[in-house]
Amino acid sequence: MDLSEIDCQEVLRRLELYLDGELDGGLCIDIEEHLVTCGTCTGHSDFQRRLKEILRAKCGCHEVPSQVLQRVRVVIERETPQT
Amino acid sequence: MASSRAPVDDPALRERFERDVLPLLPNLYSAALRLTRNPADAEDLVQEAYLRAYRGFSGFQEGTNLRAWMYRILTNTFINSYRKKQRQPQTVSDEDIEDWYLYDRLGESAAEASAETSVLERIPDEDVQKALEALPEQFRMAVWLADVEGFSYKEIAEILDVPIGTVMSRLHRGRKSLQKALWETVRERGLVRD
Repeated sequence: MDLSEIDCQEVLRRLELYLDGELDGGLCIDIEEHLVTCGTCTGHSDFQRRLKEILRAKCGCHEVPSQVLQRVRVVIERETPQT
Repeated sequence: MASSRAPVDDPALRERFERDVLPLLPNLYSAALRLTRNPADAEDLVQEAYLRAYRGFSGFQEGTNLRAWMYRILTNTFINSYRKKQRQPQTVSDEDIEDWYLYDRLGESAAEASAETSVLERIPDEDVQKALEALPEQFRMAVWLADVEGFSYKEIAEILDVPIGTVMSRLHRGRKSLQKALWETVRERGLVRD
């Protein structure tokens, strides 16, 4: 039996905020307690978390072409008066 | 070089800029790629953003959020200079996309437990990038700032200069649209049974 105070519907509704780290402490604890006992919500939560991680891993930092760094350095050089 | 613009003539300021702002370049360049969707424009955008940042750096309060400050400059530069010449993705209605769109569909077609996440991992990087890039700009920026760059709602609100409620709504709608796009990719790639 689920002993936590919020039900699945409530947990799923707040999951996005929870995974974004935008929920305050009390609600976080409620959700964590619920997730321990509820496989359905844990499945949703794991999926959403993984989706965020994958987006980060696959769309994150690219290798910077050398000419980009070069162009930025030229900007700095040009904007700095020579002494 | 003679210039009518205020040059940066404080060596300490230049040193601080090179120490703190230059290392953000890989993040800003990939952000620029996501915004402009092509390498040539991304290079121009990054250069322009660094120019504006360098010129405005004396006004930056040390100790405040440098990353957010720099991203704000990048997005503003994009909106002011580059967006006009960009072909925008067609605005898609996301009203009919239900929550858990992708999860539910992957669950229905999955043969084994936790197959939903393993399908995600098999989507080629390029396809995920394309799905993100295909989102309408307001959604794309919110999702990218939150999920790729890890900014908080408050920081995103500052970067995009919109209320936090707007950030939340764009994120929610953007993620739903992204799930729909990823589902289409998964099917096209034959990563699930129809």
